[in-house]
Amino acid sequence: MRVVVILGQVLDPGGIVVKRSAGRIFVNRKEYLIQPADRSALEAALRLRDADESVEIVALPRGPLPDDDLLRRALARGADRAIYLTGPAGFASADDAVMAAVLAAAIARLGGADLVLTGDRTLDSGQGQLGLRLAETLGYPQIVAAWQVTVEDGAVQAVVRRGDAYLTVAADLPAVVTLPAGALTLRYPDGVRLINIYKGVGEIAAALEQWDVTELVSAEALSPAWSLLGKDFPPERERGVRVEGSPEEMAQAVAAALRQKIGSGR
Amino acid sequence: MESYLDLLMAQQGEVTIEAAGGGGVWVVADVQDGSLAPVTLEAIGAARLLADSLGAYVYAVLLGDGVGDLAAVLFQAGADGVRVADHPALARLGLEPYLAVLADLFAAEQPEVVLFGATEQGAELAPRMAQRTGGGLVEHVVALDLDESTRTVRGAVPIYGGEYFEVVACPEARPQFFTVEPGAFSSPYLDKFRKGEPTPVAVEPVEAAVRVLGPAEGFTPPPVPLARAPVIVAAGRQAGDFALVEELAAALGAQVAGDRGAWDAGWVEAAQVVDVRGVEVAPEVYLAVGIRGDTFHNAAIEGARYIVAIHPDPDAPLFEVADLCVEADPRAVVPLLLKAYQA
Ligand SMILES: Cc1cc2nc3c(=O)[nH]c(=O)nc-3n(C[C@H](O)[C@H](O)[C@H](O)COP(=O)(O)OP(=O)(O)OC[C@H]3O[C@@H](n4cnc5c(N)ncnc54)[C@H](O)[C@@H]3O)c2cc1C
Ligand SMILES: Nc1ncnc2c1ncn2[C@@H]1O[C@H](COP(=O)(O)O)[C@@H](O)[C@H]1O
Repeated sequence: MRVVVILGQVLDPGGIVVKRSAGRIFVNRKEYLIQPADRSALEAALRLRDADESVEIVALPRGPLPDDDLLRRALARGADRAIYLTGPAGFASADDAVMAAVLAAAIARLGGADLVLTGDRTLDSGQGQLGLRLAETLGYPQIVAAWQVTVEDGAVQAVVRRGDAYLTVAADLPAVVTLPAGALTLRYPDGVRLINIYKGVGEIAAALEQWDVTELVSAEALSPAWSLLGKDFPPERERGVRVEGSPEEMAQAVAAALRQKIGSGR
Repeated sequence: MESYLDLLMAQQGEVTIEAAGGGGVWVVADVQDGSLAPVTLEAIGAARLLADSLGAYVYAVLLGDGVGDLAAVLFQAGADGVRVADHPALARLGLEPYLAVLADLFAAEQPEVVLFGATEQGAELAPRMAQRTGGGLVEHVVALDLDESTRTVRGAVPIYGGEYFEVVACPEARPQFFTVEPGAFSSPYLDKFRKGEPTPVAVEPVEAAVRVLGPAEGFTPPPVPLARAPVIVAAGRQAGDFALVEELAAALGAQVAGDRGAWDAGWVEAAQVVDVRGVEVAPEVYLAVGIRGDTFHNAAIEGARYIVAIHPDPDAPLFEVADLCVEADPRAVVPLLLKAYQA
């Protein structure tokens, strides 16, 4: 069984300071993390392989990458193959629609996939389209935001949340399953694999391949629809608003503020 | 009943909806437990504003089983037309049956803009529809506006949960799909005099590929680590009664934490200590009960979006970084707050 895991990276928000009044973003520490939701997807793939040795895990990127570090991290953790995608200058602005076409073609070149796993939402822009656009292109069923993934008798079973309850759902393979951040904790890399993949020695180093997207899709398929027009900043926080009045009035004011802030949360 | 737009269009004499090739601003309604999700009405309000600037109609699509009665509310909220796909096969959200209806409808009607709520339904359907139609999609928008010359709709997307926003559009792609964040747009006034006749849509039942096997017996989701908790209630020495703090946290659906003082008092464990030498947090709401707030604590809550501080000392350093300051004894205020919040 071939499991394709689609992984992305994101600037560590801890290294970023947003100055609202100046309308600027300062990057103090340029460190990339594996997208938190994609971490769950990679761990799900590794657990499927723990249960069944014959599972082959192939890591593909969810977008254009500046370098192959993300894929090395996936290999260090147990992926069998990873494909670093490069292309003409325009590929750098590939959006999810472009990547759906590119990844569908890459999967075809791999000889197909039984299961495609990826995150349900990116940490930075919150978009959850990539996996489902890919499912549409491949014509696969989709299971969105699975907390747990198992495979049995040619079908994938997943635990999903409906309201406050958790349900088990199933779909025949091949299928696309997305996972939320925090569903599964990604394991640490194996020390030997990590060293070898970074030193570029041994079998594991050969598992990192580089494909050119122009060999996968036509030039027209590489033009993105998504256009970033600008940035907007929320107003500066109004700090230090004091609540006046009797204890009852204070409690009422705080309760009202909490209701508004907690209700409108993510 | 004729809408204002109908009258305007009739006066102009030439432009008809047919001549414009369908188009329109569409909203796919989200029916939850037999009623419209609030975000659907918010989306109708947003669609109305866009449509008025575009010189277009607002259409709503209702999918479900026994949902026809909800059309009246969609008209009241501002829809000019409502398409109703009412069929037992649509009783619960299933990808393939829902997609079959929408794909046929949109192929015939060629919408210019389509809004979904950023709900479970919108998350499932919008990307599939966008990919199927060659449309552009921007998810989780909190604001929408229009470039009238190119009829391009721009959406504001929160980045890192709202630290800042990116303004995004898909100028070349049609339809332009968006999922709108619940609570981000105001709910429109329901005009009781606004009425219309819903149009039924034929439904060819299709089976969903995902089968529901039943409740996930024995499954419990992994605990959210304090660092990623969306709501935190933290206690300090001046909280007085820690049991009350825990009760407040439970009422708010929050995780319990504390500062070093709370740890010294034995109220919280090391993994719950908010401090740059302990856990750094970034919740939507951080409610500090009786925390003075030293440098190490205050630095650890820098990422919090909204900080409420309750402390008797007006000079407590936490008041300098808090958004809402309550200068009072927590023992007096917290029980009242519990009551007020639960009311
Ligand atoms: C022997 C060796 C050789 C190496 N050689 C190289 C080299 O040549 N070039 C190179 O660039 N790197 C090298 N590295 C480093 C390597 O690339 C990775 O940076 C390192 O393995 C961490 O990878 P990671 O997958 O754990 O990163 P990630 O898992 O993405 O995370 C990085 C850190 O952020 C934390 N984190 C991730 N997500 C979250 C979240 N949502 N919330 C909070 N915290 C989070 C993680 O716990 C981790 O501490 C080497 C490492 C070793 C051990
Ligand atoms: N933790 C690390 N983070 C980043 N780069 C590293 C790390 N450890 C080693 N490297 C680099 O990886 C390469 C191989 O290192 P070594 O295994 O020490 O021979 C060298 O270029 C090191 O600088």
